[in-house]
Amino acid sequence: MIEDVRGTFKPELIPKESGGNIDDYEDALHVLMKFMGSMSSALEQVSGRGANAIVYQAGKRMGHDAAKMMEKTDNLEQALDEMGEVLGTEFYYEKWKPAGQEGYTIEKGDETVIKLLFMDCVVRQTLRRTGLPQKGPLCYLLYGYMVGAVEEVMSIKGKVDIDHVGPNACLKTLTIKWGGK
Amino acid sequence: MVEILIDEDACVGCGSCVDDCPNDVYKMNEEKWKTEVVNVDDCMACLSCHEICPAQAMTHKNIHVAKRLYIDRRVNHVLERII
Ligand code: SF4
Ligand code: SF4
Repeated sequence: MIEDVRGTFKPELIPKESGGNIDDYEDALHVLMKFMGSMSSALEQVSGRGANAIVYQAGKRMGHDAAKMMEKTDNLEQALDEMGEVLGTEFYYEKWKPAGQEGYTIEKGDETVIKLLFMDCVVRQTLRRTGLPQKGPLCYLLYGYMVGAVEEVMSIKGKVDIDHVGPNACLKTLTIKWGGK
Repeated sequence: MVEILIDEDACVGCGSCVDDCPNDVYKMNEEKWKTEVVNVDDCMACLSCHEICPAQAMTHKNIHVAKRLYIDRRVNHVLERII
């Protein structure tokens, strides 16, 4: 049953509460997931692999914007903590390394490489909701978002590669290129 | 710590999990022709092996279970009553 919510509204009023119950929010979430899923698959059909590049750029811009207010640092650990705050609980990740490797980071010339294990991810859930494969344009939105956020916080150049995706977690490699943008 | 159990009666020895796992957690036992867990420390609980296994022969214990937002709570509720 759809409940008709009636009230008074003037242009300058900001509602204090958004109203509705958890079922309403869940419905809204699922509709958004379906929209995002079909948008992403249509984009892929029309522009092929170019879709990933477009969406990556969009994500990167979002990441830069979202991290503007964060404290600048050249410490990767701190940057990762701040990135965690920007991404929020819906993108919960941890640093990851094989058991035999000593530290989390590997230095390669002017680059530092670190692996991140994404455990909770709204993008993955959206793809599964719509029956779409992982590693498509929507995933690139998140990669762009991460890169944008880390570039903003550290004032460097970064990139993210996918190592492996699964239904419960995805492993990514974040590469930081020192020496400015 | 992650624990992986293999149901040897269910495993058909296809080797898909061995090929799929990026961290070489499994190896084929060539005598029994069943998979075996040889490197549990490197398991990151991605569960792609669960998706690929045709026999649903493995169980991962003590892992972070990702938020499953794609399952509608109302559908879940109905499923709980049926299963
Ligand atoms: S969950 Fe992932 S890392 Fe662990 S055994 Fe399966 S494929 Fe390998
Ligand atoms: S994928 Fe499943 S059936 Fe195939 S070897 Fe691995 S555990 Fe056995």
